[in-house]
Amino acid sequence: MSWVSNLLNGLAFGSLLFLVASGLTITFGLMRTINLAHGAFYLLGGYFAFDLFERTDNYWLSLLLAVALTAALGMLMERFLLHRLLNQELPQIILTVGVALIVGDLLLAKYGGNPISPPVPAQLEGSLQLSDTMVFPKFRAFLIILALVLAALTVAFLRWSSVGAKVRAAVDDQDIARSIGIPVPIIFLLVFGAGTALAAFAGVWGGALTSLSPDAGFEVLLLALVVVVVGGLGSVPGALIAAFAVGLLDQFGRVLFPEWALFTVYAPVALFLAFRPTGLMGQVATR
Amino acid sequence: MNRSVRFPVAALAAALTLTACGGNVPSTGGVTAATPGAAAAQGAKGSLTVGLLNPTTGPFTALGEDVNAGFELYLASKGGTLGGYGINIVKEDEANDPGVATTKARQLVEQNKAGLVVGLVNSGVAYAVAPYLKEAGVPLLITVAGADGLTREKNGNLFRVSYTGSQDTMPAGDFVCKTLGLKTASIVALDYSFGWEAAGGFARTYEDAGCKIVQELYAPLGTQDYAPYVNQIDRNAEVVFTVAPGSDAIRFFKAVQGFGLKTPVFAHGSTTDETVLPSLAASADGVQSSLHYAPSLETPVNKAFAEAWEKEAKRSVNQYAEDGWAAAQVLEAALTSLDGEATPTAVRDALSNVSIEAPRGPLKFDEYGQAVYDVHFRKVEKKDGDWVNTVTGSAKNVSQFYTYDPAEYLRFPSYDDLKGTWAK
Repeated sequence: MSWVSNLLNGLAFGSLLFLVASGLTITFGLMRTINLAHGAFYLLGGYFAFDLFERTDNYWLSLLLAVALTAALGMLMERFLLHRLLNQELPQIILTVGVALIVGDLLLAKYGGNPISPPVPAQLEGSLQLSDTMVFPKFRAFLIILALVLAALTVAFLRWSSVGAKVRAAVDDQDIARSIGIPVPIIFLLVFGAGTALAAFAGVWGGALTSLSPDAGFEVLLLALVVVVVGGLGSVPGALIAAFAVGLLDQFGRVLFPEWALFTVYAPVALFLAFRPTGLMGQVATR
Repeated sequence: MNRSVRFPVAALAAALTLTACGGNVPSTGGVTAATPGAAAAQGAKGSLTVGLLNPTTGPFTALGEDVNAGFELYLASKGGTLGGYGINIVKEDEANDPGVATTKARQLVEQNKAGLVVGLVNSGVAYAVAPYLKEAGVPLLITVAGADGLTREKNGNLFRVSYTGSQDTMPAGDFVCKTLGLKTASIVALDYSFGWEAAGGFARTYEDAGCKIVQELYAPLGTQDYAPYVNQIDRNAEVVFTVAPGSDAIRFFKAVQGFGLKTPVFAHGSTTDETVLPSLAASADGVQSSLHYAPSLETPVNKAFAEAWEKEAKRSVNQYAEDGWAAAQVLEAALTSLDGEATPTAVRDALSNVSIEAPRGPLKFDEYGQAVYDVHFRKVEKKDGDWVNTVTGSAKNVSQFYTYDPAEYLRFPSYDDLKGTWAK
């Protein structure tokens, strides 16, 4: 098969990785809150959309409600659980793993263990005929565009909106931010909500490509963490580049060295981090 | 190390650990579903305690629960007695963990006094539990675990109603080569023992029938994206043979559909079984497969089973539910031939002579304890709005050695070693 097709698909898979990682770049990278329940929110988004679509048969409504519901749950978790553990890494890990396990078991109890597939908008079914011999699915092509747009929006929001500036200030120095009147708890609540909303959004889109099952949350979490860490904590452009790099690496690894498919992502990543532990665009911590 | 480095690395390490023990996720705590306080069931001839040892947490929960439900449904249809013996069920969660499963098996035998253990999904778990039960002298009736090597000992106390990895695909090799007339095949299979055995069984009979494997691709279990594999498939092959149950099936067929692969696909029946078929939907339209069971079989036994199941579960029957149901039927036949106390030894001896009419068709055990049954060729079609596997033909009385002489077959190199050599 041609290199163009492999290249495109590597980018599409990378886009999927970026979607999954985008929420985590914000909560983990920017807020410095370790959220190992990210995969669980991804699952919740996908399962809610699946369930709502079965009931309403309306794709966009299902997507919107699923994202909103999950974001609400995320904000509840931030307000009542995580907020007490600001800057305490180990308790955060234990708490969020606990939440992830509970969500996984609840999904298992409600929807059973068989894999499900969230809906796809009808316009994106089918494939594009790129040349006589080359066919590319519309859904994957759209994923690439979606990732680029999402990255641009997030970057613009954080850099140029006043809320973005307040977020950066709150993360940078909480006490000073509070003293100049920035409502830090509310900012954190909203940022965490945005992170879980992105996780849910990724669950609907990514789940449609890979299918979902109650134990898929940690697989997704691992890929997302790889992207965030390689990209550099808190850097959205870094995450985008890392996601594309990992996607291409995985794609070509599987084509060129199929025997080593299990290692094509993790071995180069481990090597990379050994030499550049702050990631591609990560900054050395100032605190 | 400064803080900014230690932080992400710690998180990554934690996530890696979680993924590595993915087998135990979501949780491992075993829960006894049985109510020990309930009055013991008594039949005319006595009673027997049966331990149902299936996963009810973790990745194989759906399979384990369907086996349990199938078994219990048959038992309930017989009013709680089988062959004149009252059956007391004790359910334990094997949690897809060899250590947990062995502890639970010990508990079933020593505390609950189980005279028979039924279940097991993961072959690794089965390999851990089988030696203990052998030592304890309690027969084991396997309902899903498929490793070829589990049933290689003559006159043991292990029986299996479900398939061995290669059993359901060996007839497919002949069928695809001779009946369908597709002469060259590309294999896409999961890269672990079940994938190698199922693909190897197909490859063996396919090549012995005079056709040729031209390519072998193996993807790790849980591959997120099958496009790299689908794009590599040799477009000159006349058929693609695939082994990819569960989520992998959904991802594989999504890539097949999206990248416009026109080659016909033939699959191990687990790849298109009813646990994934609603999610596969149109992406698996026309895919053929071979399996020892198909819900669409038009036999009175199967219709009675399907009717009872669908009334209870509100969804289609599947091979795992049938495995559970057939296991209960097997036990009933064994107990019917008994008189007096149902000791483990008596149950074992009775099991070895069982011959029943299961929903799948006739079922008996060979001297190695492996079920001999008909393998059905099926095709995915849409009927009355639902996607189903329609039966297009059957191979009768297929044993784990198919048409090969057992002694000769057992001398063949294992499928693990043969992986990668079929296309050469």
